[in-house]
Amino acid sequence: MNRVQPQHLDLSAIDWREVARRKRRLVSGGSWGMWLAVAMALLWMVPFYYLLITIFKSPAEFATGPKLALPEGLWPVVGNVSAAWQAARMGPAFLNSAIYAVTGAASAVIIAAMAAHGLARFDFRGRTALFMTIFAGTVFPLQLYLIPLFFSYQSLGLIDTRLGMILFYTAICIPFPVLVLRNYMSQMSREMDEAARMDGCGEFRLFFSIVLPNASSPMLALFLLQFTWVWNDLLFATVLTQSPELRPIMPALQVFQGGYASQSPTVILTASFLASLPTVLLFLAMRRTFMTGLTAARN
Amino acid sequence: MGDRSMSDSELGALDAERLGSADVRQRRRNALTGALFAAPALLFVTSFLLYPVAMNVWYSFTAWRKFEGLGEWAGLANYQRLATNPNFEAAAINTGIWVIASLVLPVALALALAVLLNGARFSDTAKTLFFLPRVLAPTAAGVIWYYVYAPNGVLNGFLSLFVGPVDRGWLFEDSTITPAIIVAFVWQTVGLPMVLLLIGLAAIPRDPIEAAQIDGATPGQVFLHVTLPLLLPTILVVVIISVLAGFTAFDHIWVMAQSFPGKRRLSLTVLMYYEAFTNNAWAFASAIAVVLGGIVLAVTWLQAVLQERVDRMLK
Repeated sequence: MNRVQPQHLDLSAIDWREVARRKRRLVSGGSWGMWLAVAMALLWMVPFYYLLITIFKSPAEFATGPKLALPEGLWPVVGNVSAAWQAARMGPAFLNSAIYAVTGAASAVIIAAMAAHGLARFDFRGRTALFMTIFAGTVFPLQLYLIPLFFSYQSLGLIDTRLGMILFYTAICIPFPVLVLRNYMSQMSREMDEAARMDGCGEFRLFFSIVLPNASSPMLALFLLQFTWVWNDLLFATVLTQSPELRPIMPALQVFQGGYASQSPTVILTASFLASLPTVLLFLAMRRTFMTGLTAARN
Repeated sequence: MGDRSMSDSELGALDAERLGSADVRQRRRNALTGALFAAPALLFVTSFLLYPVAMNVWYSFTAWRKFEGLGEWAGLANYQRLATNPNFEAAAINTGIWVIASLVLPVALALALAVLLNGARFSDTAKTLFFLPRVLAPTAAGVIWYYVYAPNGVLNGFLSLFVGPVDRGWLFEDSTITPAIIVAFVWQTVGLPMVLLLIGLAAIPRDPIEAAQIDGATPGQVFLHVTLPLLLPTILVVVIISVLAGFTAFDHIWVMAQSFPGKRRLSLTVLMYYEAFTNNAWAFASAIAVVLGGIVLAVTWLQAVLQERVDRMLK
């Protein structure tokens, strides 16, 4: 520590115990601050608690009992799951969500890595313009894509097809990873590229066997991020698919809309719980990767 | 772009002059290879994102006729309709409420949490807890909160403990529905600003803070005069992220207002969806989308300007 001491400071006059106390208070945030944080964290968990107890209640128990009471037994969850599974046709919906999210996010991240490589590791005039063109895909609100996409998809026969969904999700997941990976790749050393070229390595092999492995950790974080985006998407899935066989899980949940009288809240909440389970588990399992992706990215 | 690539291209220019055509050929090959690597991304982005944006702007200046579709030039007619449409005015006011709320609530809350959690023992667990709602699908979060606010739901049950029986339908009344949805939205989205602010706090040098403490500043003074100014760049990023998220909120409103008859008046995004896909007023809906896009671009531009000013101020 190389701090400049003010000249007038009389070190013997300082009450060091007082300074230490102040510092402790600041570092720990004080004990009341800690309890406030604990209280807020508990409050934040109430909706999750509500969700978790409700899926274990039978419709009758939910309707009559206190809402935040623990369930009487665990068995009603079986009935809730099977009712939710049938009403929202969750089997095909899960399969579709998995197909769209894995294919869309994976191809987007690979295509974005290629673009980032081309724009960060080759010097040529116009590369900034090319980058800005791709980057423009991150600034518009989603509402601007909706109507023309709907019309174009109708005239091209892409509406309500798996191919159409995958193509769109790939496109919308590209710009943001390009931004992140271009920054990352411009900081990677170019010497290994030159060495590989000297040895007669082709450009494609250079990219796939040298650049790509070196960028794998940000790519994984970006894949998780985009996977979650596609999985959670409601807007485009609602507009671009119609038939239940092709619908992913989020619009499938909408069968409960309006028809709320016909299904018990326990069933509807169970359906929401099941639909969120994959992304929540993925987050808990890969928390660190996820957080780095999200935060390094937005900064 | 680092210094490295700058010097590389400068060297390249020098070499080309000195060594002649061999190097020019090499550079041309560089450009071709680089552009080829970028080509797939460019193709996807222009055809699925930028082309639709251009078409949307064009639609907003045309009229929609049944069986003929969009295409007949209508000038500013759709934009003039915005001014007279009562739904548009109501939706714009509600979107304004969303913007103001998301300018204040998530940022203030995230800042408070970040300060409380900074350096605390259990901060990793707490960080995960506050971040967890964000991983839920907005659709699922909306459904949970729908039942929190239901007439026989959790909120009324809690209030009944203090003021006697309450059976208010929070999502059925004009005066409560928007604040109710905003609370759910803040619950779900506060995790990211909090994590960003924690990273910003951790990056602040300890020296000025310790110096102020030794000079006898109270924790409040330290925070106000030392920490806050140094945190300003992160706060700016967080403010812009929340404002844009609040301005374009859709899923939460869509799910939580499902049984509310005046749903289309709740935000510009919902009104746009309604005019297009329920009312088939495609050209009018395109004009609403253009207004949304224009405001988002303006905010993004404002951020760039402010960012530059803050960076200069801190230097």
